[in-house]
Amino acid sequence: MVLEIVVMVKQVPDSQEVVIDPVTMNLNRSLTRNVTNKADENALEAALSIKDKTPAKITIVSMGPPQTESTMIECLARGADRAVLVSDRAFGGADTYPTGLTVASAISKLEHFDVIIAGEESSDSSTGHVGPGVAEFLGIEQITYCSKIEYSKGHITAERELEDGTEVVRCPVPVLITMLLGSNFPRRQSLRRKIDATKKGIELWNLEKLGLQPEWVGVRGSPTIVRRMQSIKERERAGKRITIETIPEMVKELYEKNILKVKK
Amino acid sequence: MVGLLFAKPVDKPEEYKNVFVYLENGQGKLKRVALEMIGIGKQLASKVNEELVGILIGNDIEDMAKEAASYGCDRVIGTQSKDLADFRTVPYANIVGDIVLKEKPNVFLIPATRNGRDLASRIAVKCQAGVTADCTELDIEADTHILSAHRPTYGESMLAEILCRKHRPQMATARAGIFKVPDRSGEPPKGKIEINNVKIDKEYLVKEILEFRKKEKIDLTAAETVVSGGLGLGGPEGFKQIEQLAKVLGGEVGASRPTADLGWISRDHQVGQTGTTVRPKLYVAAGISGKIQHIMGMKNSETIIAINTDPNAEIVKYSDYFINDDVKKVIPALIKALKNYKPEAKDAAKAEAVSK
Ligand SMILES: Cc1cc2nc3c(=O)[nH]c(=O)nc-3n(C[C@H](O)[C@H](O)[C@H](O)COP(=O)(O)OP(=O)(O)OC[C@H]3O[C@@H](n4cnc5c(N)ncnc54)[C@H](O)[C@@H]3O)c2cc1C
Ligand SMILES: Nc1ncnc2c1ncn2[C@@H]1O[C@H](COP(=O)(O)O)[C@@H](O)[C@H]1O
Repeated sequence: MVLEIVVMVKQVPDSQEVVIDPVTMNLNRSLTRNVTNKADENALEAALSIKDKTPAKITIVSMGPPQTESTMIECLARGADRAVLVSDRAFGGADTYPTGLTVASAISKLEHFDVIIAGEESSDSSTGHVGPGVAEFLGIEQITYCSKIEYSKGHITAERELEDGTEVVRCPVPVLITMLLGSNFPRRQSLRRKIDATKKGIELWNLEKLGLQPEWVGVRGSPTIVRRMQSIKERERAGKRITIETIPEMVKELYEKNILKVKK
Repeated sequence: MVGLLFAKPVDKPEEYKNVFVYLENGQGKLKRVALEMIGIGKQLASKVNEELVGILIGNDIEDMAKEAASYGCDRVIGTQSKDLADFRTVPYANIVGDIVLKEKPNVFLIPATRNGRDLASRIAVKCQAGVTADCTELDIEADTHILSAHRPTYGESMLAEILCRKHRPQMATARAGIFKVPDRSGEPPKGKIEINNVKIDKEYLVKEILEFRKKEKIDLTAAETVVSGGLGLGGPEGFKQIEQLAKVLGGEVGASRPTADLGWISRDHQVGQTGTTVRPKLYVAAGISGKIQHIMGMKNSETIIAINTDPNAEIVKYSDYFINDDVKKVIPALIKALKNYKPEAKDAAKAEAVSK
């Protein structure tokens, strides 16, 4: 029996170079490079390291515009076996609800799945809601914020990092996992696999293939709306130059400004 | 399979009333963040003259329920079972989802903690409603009872105001450490407490919690001063100096990620995007270049002192004071200056008056 793993991947604007349009206050997509969401690379690596030990098949599922193909090819070149890109005009402008619905419906159209792995959050919307949403639509248990996962005999054992400690959990498949950003070191792409991937191509699924109603998805199916965007003014800091000699003056100022308090 | 439910606008939004909050329980205690939810929830409820209702799940929850009522919940709906002692997504989400579907709140707030986020979107799906993640400001319109939820986006550079006009409840997760804990009102609390004992069906208990390893006691988020070291320390021994300075300042030790990667210090000390986000009164960055992933975790500190040999390091932009010299020389000089500092007479008198 081959373990069927689905990895949910999103293409995002490169957070190093987000360009905000000063008029519309929206992301200027034409000036921003698109990359694979970093935490999703950790999700794929977690899947690949299961596959290193257990016979497994990895399917990438992504909802996004056609240029997401570059991300899909990257994932295939790292070692994924199959890539399904869910793409349709109707999906545009989706918030996390219809995104989860669309991705879940694509996953439910696969012949079978045992483990679904997502990233903890996407760098552009950073909600962490899409993974758990998919688990709810599919009616399965989930283990979020994992730093480590292992598969053995039909069960996933994982470490979850919480605010006050680490929880070790065990859960039978089917289960959805979300991996923490930076939880592992994603392996390189192989050039040979990359050439194969480009030849083999990517499966493109549209709205009709999923059998969803157009008013359930994309912007029409999104309960939340953005009323306003404001830029948060970064506080200007003085960067006052201090030398070894002037350190006592700085210390005095810190006390006088009550940043440091005199203890008795 | 639960089925692919689409987000469904409600016909009569006016039927949805009151502000509900999820009271997060950690190892049998109400978390501080639960009190913060009561604080902001009460503020919203008062503005529209409605009740504040807390949802509490766990085992042996009576004391927690009373505590929640004493902080201002008009009503606490508790559900308990020994199988609910540990947080497990599916049974918790089922219980909260059923309560929300039955009670029809107008607003439902969940803390944006890891377990809170684990639950929130599943409940939104159960209710076919929207949820705004990780809010830092919340308000409600007095006439329309529409929740206005603000959240930072694009790496904290923008603030978005998000509404959910047609779906109910209007759900949001609220960031920890932002909203105020209310004052505790008189005992015994006036709020109504209902506790239901339930039996959980085995099929919902597939997830086993094998172990919980509590973090060593450092809590960077609560520290008033954080002194962090980076690769510029030159090696693990550099953290000795950092510890000394932290001790003199009465603060905690932080670190950049590569120092934790190299094992100079344990991971719990890491500040940044993949570590802890801190906002102390004073942050000292010693031998840290100021790469964006580190900055994201400390830029809201009140005062920032940077120590770096490179006059053009990115950290300069984010510092109030920039000491352009070698950490090995700066830290002893700083410790000496702190120890030698004598407040002038009137300051000392003030300090004394305050401490009394
Ligand atoms: C996905 C991802 C997530 C990340 N998350 C985090 C995170 O959470 N936290 C984090 O910190 N980083 C994170 N990073 C890493 C981040 O990009 C930087 O690599 C890291 O912050 C740099 O650490 P540093 O400043 O200690 O080291 P460096 O960048 O090497 O800087 C060392 C600094 O020390 C100065 N210096 C050298 N010698 C001395 C001396 N004797 N005295 C004084 N100054 C000296 C140098 O001028 C330099 O500015 C992440 C990266 C990625 C890709
Ligand atoms: N459009 C999408 N297609 C596939 N997976 C997605 C999509 N959006 C989000 N995800 C997955 O859900 C995770 C959380 O995203 P978010 O809820 O946007 O923070 C990501 O790390 C991805 O694994």
